[in-house]
Amino acid sequence: MNILVVVQRFGDEVVGGSEGHARVVASRLARTHTVEVATTTALDYWTWAPHFMPGTSSLDGLRVHRFPVASGRDPEFKAFESKVLLGRHSVADEQDWPRRQGPHCPELLEFLREHGRRYDVVLFYTYIYEPTVRGLPLVPERAALVSTAHDELPLRLAPYRALFQLPRALGFLTPEERELVHRTFRNEHIPHETLGLGLDAPGAYDVDAFRTAHQLDGPLVLYLGQVSEGKGCDELIAAWTAYRSRDDARPGTLVLAGTIRMEIPDRRDVVALGRISDEEKYAALAAADALVLPSRFESLGIVLLEAWQVGTPVIVRTDNPVTAGQVTRSGGGVSYRDDAEFADALERAVAQRDALGAAGRAWVERECSWDAFDARLAQLVALAAA
Amino acid sequence: MTQPSLMVVVQRYGDIAGGGAEPHARSVVQRLRPHFDIEVATTTARDYWTWANEFTPGLTAVDDVPVRRFTVERGRSRDFRRRERRAFSAGHTLDDELAFVEAQGPVAPELLEHVDRRGREVDHVLFFTYIYYPTVFGLPLAPERAVLVPTAHDEPAIGLSVYKPVFCAPRAIAFNTEEERRMVHRRFRNARVPNEVVGVGVDVPVDRSADRFRRRYAIEGPYLLYVGRIVESKQCGPLFDAFARWQDRQGTRATLVLMGHREMPVPDRADIRLLGRTSDEDKFDALAGCVALVQPSLLESLSIIALESWACGRPVICDVRSPVVWGMAYRARAGLGYRSAAELAEICELLIADPHLAARLGESGREFVERTYTWPRVVETYLDLFAEVRARNS
Repeated sequence: MNILVVVQRFGDEVVGGSEGHARVVASRLARTHTVEVATTTALDYWTWAPHFMPGTSSLDGLRVHRFPVASGRDPEFKAFESKVLLGRHSVADEQDWPRRQGPHCPELLEFLREHGRRYDVVLFYTYIYEPTVRGLPLVPERAALVSTAHDELPLRLAPYRALFQLPRALGFLTPEERELVHRTFRNEHIPHETLGLGLDAPGAYDVDAFRTAHQLDGPLVLYLGQVSEGKGCDELIAAWTAYRSRDDARPGTLVLAGTIRMEIPDRRDVVALGRISDEEKYAALAAADALVLPSRFESLGIVLLEAWQVGTPVIVRTDNPVTAGQVTRSGGGVSYRDDAEFADALERAVAQRDALGAAGRAWVERECSWDAFDARLAQLVALAAA
Repeated sequence: MTQPSLMVVVQRYGDIAGGGAEPHARSVVQRLRPHFDIEVATTTARDYWTWANEFTPGLTAVDDVPVRRFTVERGRSRDFRRRERRAFSAGHTLDDELAFVEAQGPVAPELLEHVDRRGREVDHVLFFTYIYYPTVFGLPLAPERAVLVPTAHDEPAIGLSVYKPVFCAPRAIAFNTEEERRMVHRRFRNARVPNEVVGVGVDVPVDRSADRFRRRYAIEGPYLLYVGRIVESKQCGPLFDAFARWQDRQGTRATLVLMGHREMPVPDRADIRLLGRTSDEDKFDALAGCVALVQPSLLESLSIIALESWACGRPVICDVRSPVVWGMAYRARAGLGYRSAAELAEICELLIADPHLAARLGESGREFVERTYTWPRVVETYLDLFAEVRARNS
């Protein structure tokens, strides 16, 4: 089959959850199909400033068609956003949202309108941006939408109502996303597949070398990712401090690995490593008694899967449906609601480390193998081409 | 028990001239009224070409149904023909398509605001006609409760990309004919959208008198009947030419009777009788006594007059290039199709010479109409479609 993947950004330098997923999917599909990519010249997801050369090039052995960004994010977008999401506004304002958010890329839309029928299936990534919301309606009869939707206000805006009724198939990253979309749009009748992720096996890693390099002794509780308030790290540190002040607290160190974007308290039992390499990542995960992910808004929780790959249990928030759902399905960890429950969750995770870690590992090996992922992806493509 | 609620969106509504989607919408509203809390959202336009604001904006009532009219901000633009040519030409852009829809009118943003607000409070929204602004931009605001009555025919506009969401996003589609359904499914590959052939019911009075008609208009001998707007776009010109040529070559004496608003020159000859707009009684009286109804138009989504002719037991003569009228006449074995002026003449001769054949064709037409195009069946099919919409959204 001829398959086109449409995504707002694509390239080596591009960092982003949905863009990363799109790239993996394009590469996996290219093993059995002819795959091309249609994208923009943007690299930065905020400004959408032109970065790549427009035209057709090659990446990962795929033909990539890049179309110029005619306009990026409206300089007044913040004000516009708060008006449309929270204030008095018109239907016309809502219709204007995708263009003002950017990337506005009319040539990409013309390409879809004129050449869309060359492809058996067109896979659209990320519901929110204009290439999808204006592009998918040009080829609904052959479209699959991988929405990567969160429970956020823009999801309710006018341009997205029809979008979620149009494709021949819907792809979700998690069961929670599927439930959110079904609840919001009542489109259960559209054939769908929950794709999840595929993961490479961890390469060689050295736990002792990691401990030595960072002078880490004793039990470790690991946080891996951007260290910021947005990710809930301030609440994590508060919960950790509260736990450690108890008489019956276990000895241990909270290790924060990732780009530091906030103030870290100066305590012996809290260590901030900054960014660590990929090899060190698996060593850190294996060294830890448990991985903790305090974010409320995680949409995928890849780091949980990586922890389970090396048999480490995870601790997540009960009020993040995605990560809590992953933990429930895999049995690879525990969840907490508040500081008091955090202490209890930590105790349980450490006490049952081996059993929880083994359950997580078994689940990730079953669900995130490339074979399993490819089968789900093939199903999505088949649904869209039917 | 409260009734389910239904909002009907249509570009014009009420006391307006002409046939097509608007009177269709009104007759459906009247029949669905006992089953729903029903309301109509429309514009202040009366004229389908200019969309000039003629009605008063705001809430009114038509046939005891609340009707909310919204002001037309822009009617048909003066450069509409240019916009249309550009949108239909090769190498046009998406912006050209959108410009065409806006230039066509009626641009009524307040109607959209209303659909956005009220359309999501009611259980279902029924949109009439795929082609105009209120449906193109209104339907995507409430797709999960939208039912579309496209009244589509195979014309250049339906090939525009801008119409794809209109046909792929609604919860259900109510087609007028089997032919329309096939055409739409072929173009849009949207067969998974629940759909039915619904159409309209055809009511004909029992009291129909050919004699009364002949007396009133002094018409003698066999006559063929045309009912509808007398315009080039409905192929009236070629019909006049063919009829005149047939008569001028010593064909069996016959009259061509024209009923409807004249919008083009009609040949000044004794055997072509222009009656203008007439009463329903005259129309059905004329149908009762005609050799056949002639429907030369190529672009009909549903020819109500053909259905009425069949309901009166009279055959229909049509152009074989008309997918819908000829498709129905062929399926129903209720008419004859011509490929040329000469064939049209032959068909007329044949039906005049063999009244039994004409009666047989008309009788199969009557059976065809009773199978599909009666109000009890139409209402029941709508109720089924709406129940499906509610089931999915409950």
